[in-house]
Amino acid sequence: MLGAETPSAGARRPRRRRAALAGALALVPALALAACSSSDDDAASDGPVTLEFWTYSLKGTDPEAQAIVDRYHELNPDVTVKLSEVGGTAETSSKLLAADRADTVPDVVQVEYRALPSLVVSGVVKDITDDVADVRDGVEDNIWDLTTFDGQVYGVPQDIGPMMLTYRADLFAQYGVAVPTTWEEYAAAAEAIHTQDPSVYIASFSPTQFEFFASVAAQAGGEWWSNDGDAWSVGIGDEPSLETADYWQDLVERDLVTVEPLLTPEWNAKVNDGKILSWAAAAWAPSVLYSVAPNTAGLWEAAPLPQWTRGDASVPFLGGSTYLVPEKSEHAEEAAAFAAWLSATDEGSTSLLSLDLLPGGTAGREATLTAEPPMLMPQQTDFWQVVDQVVADTTIPVTWGPNVNVAQSAFGDALNEAALNGGSFRDVFTATQETIAADLEKSGFTVAD
Amino acid sequence: MSTDVVPASQAARTARAPRTRSTRHRARAATPWLFASPAIAFFTAFLIIPIGYALYLSFRGYRVSGGAFGRREETFVGLENYATALSDPEFVAGLGRSLIYGAIAVPSVLGLALLFALLLDHPRVPGRSFARTAIFLPYAVPGVIASLLWGFLYLPSTSPVSYVARELGGSSVDFFGYPALYFALANIALWSGVGFNMIIIYTSLRSVPTEIYEAARIDGASERQIALRIKIPLVTPALVLTGLFSVIGTLQLYSEPATLRPMSNTISSTWVPLMKIYQEAFMNDNLGGAAAASVVLALGILALSLLLLRFFQRRTFGGAA
Repeated sequence: MLGAETPSAGARRPRRRRAALAGALALVPALALAACSSSDDDAASDGPVTLEFWTYSLKGTDPEAQAIVDRYHELNPDVTVKLSEVGGTAETSSKLLAADRADTVPDVVQVEYRALPSLVVSGVVKDITDDVADVRDGVEDNIWDLTTFDGQVYGVPQDIGPMMLTYRADLFAQYGVAVPTTWEEYAAAAEAIHTQDPSVYIASFSPTQFEFFASVAAQAGGEWWSNDGDAWSVGIGDEPSLETADYWQDLVERDLVTVEPLLTPEWNAKVNDGKILSWAAAAWAPSVLYSVAPNTAGLWEAAPLPQWTRGDASVPFLGGSTYLVPEKSEHAEEAAAFAAWLSATDEGSTSLLSLDLLPGGTAGREATLTAEPPMLMPQQTDFWQVVDQVVADTTIPVTWGPNVNVAQSAFGDALNEAALNGGSFRDVFTATQETIAADLEKSGFTVAD
Repeated sequence: MSTDVVPASQAARTARAPRTRSTRHRARAATPWLFASPAIAFFTAFLIIPIGYALYLSFRGYRVSGGAFGRREETFVGLENYATALSDPEFVAGLGRSLIYGAIAVPSVLGLALLFALLLDHPRVPGRSFARTAIFLPYAVPGVIASLLWGFLYLPSTSPVSYVARELGGSSVDFFGYPALYFALANIALWSGVGFNMIIIYTSLRSVPTEIYEAARIDGASERQIALRIKIPLVTPALVLTGLFSVIGTLQLYSEPATLRPMSNTISSTWVPLMKIYQEAFMNDNLGGAAAASVVLALGILALSLLLLRFFQRRTFGGAA
């Protein structure tokens, strides 16, 4: 704020933040002693414990969520789970890092898969390989891959995002466009729609959707991060990824997609008005769309994501989240047991269905097959069958690097700039590659060429 | 400004001092410290120590040892964070963007604030207290909320301006394009900042003795001449003060662009220096880099403030003192 806020709030804001940080860090030595004294076996024999659970899926105000933790308390009378919502993945990650340094960590934390590696190298996440050994069978291997690094398990999968194209079936029919099965058809459909009505676009192109670009590049054969145990390789500038860059550049240059961020009031209005006709994302997209455009329910359908090579249905997961147990949790054993129950046992993973998400656990996932389709598309009775097929086709494991956040902002800013000012998307990809590699090296990692 | 006042009052106290006895003198010397001690304690705990800690952090960084999933440890990295901050083109570009914004926002906010203050001070103005409150009211709206509100007014689908433009046969107004974005942001500052600055200037106007105006009127000065020749020169100290606050506010710009960012493509995650610092500290977990950039920014603001003060002090207060 100009002038007005300056002397009061504006000037002190950064200082206050520093003060809070210093205060938090001043507690470290005192609490470190306290933390040392409570070893694992102590915690297990202690009487009743309360697990603090940071989650944005289980909201404390939601009776369905409360019913789940009440049920767990019924099964384990010694364990009470306290739900707290601290924000999305980005906020949760940074708060968890701060909490770890202040030695006041929660016991179970929900983050998106892509945030897990950076938390692991920060030493915040507990290796729970042994704790979840009993429930390994409750989750498919391609889903365990999302939380397993170097053979160690660092989280249990809550929900997964098999990639889908959610589209306005009525308007696709009106414009005479078939559901695209390849990206080539997608471009043709985009052209057909936009030519008939220049105010309508097949989709918006949102440069800040880093994970989407990474996932479709992985679908094309790109590997943005990979490691051999010692050294990291960065492949954003590799040929398969660059070809996807060319593809998007072509769509943007021909004005077949509208360059604008997702889920803004503007985007929501266009979705409601039938000016944006589809969203290439994952099986969670319908519930998001329903929340912003409930009046369009019944007009949508979902199909597998378009393919780069006709007939090659393999895709990676996009989004979804995991429960991790912080390294410094005082009740790590109980926390891991609760997380394993909720995500990987039959009862736990089935109960997650009530939260309108696609559970990672096999039992919960199979239960969807007899469930009602999402509220956005009550008429598409085969929705969950389609999803199930996509999950089976999700055979591309994506490795997220320890500096996803750095990549995400560098990539989003540069791609926005290029999309608006006509720069080369290829250059954005190669520049991000350099930024990521340089950041990894600066942090002390070995980067293979 | 206050430095002129302090020596005078001290001089008065020291003039009285020889009259007191030496034993009581010593006790008395301790008294001010006693009274000041809570303030000093809080000042140390909440300003000196955090600033010191930030300085310490600015020489530290997280470095990894071990393989691909090795652990990050905090270590001393020397001046590396400062070198990165100063050589970062985005940080410098962010400073440039805040200055462009400031060049638009500061003069318009102060100009309007001065205009409103002078109008309110006009002897025959109707509905004065209502107008004063109405102009001041937007200041009570928190910056984030004001930005959200204006964001809705800017977005083509929800903007009444764009609606009218379309109805008249034009196209939507792109408030988030360049250079419109600078004006869009400055407009938010204008909306919420004018009232506050107006109150400061208006208060300063009210403290001018009315005899001066009477004398001017007897000499045949019109209201406009009184405003230009008498009122404005007399409130220059208030203008310098509000100007200084505004310039500092410019460099500390954060909540407006950060709030509008999700709605637009044109605001990058490091659009202004504070957004860059936030990004480093809380998204990239690079507290050291963020601390170093904060120190650089704080020193820059300090230098700019001193420069401005010195410049204006000589012009405004120089002759009088």
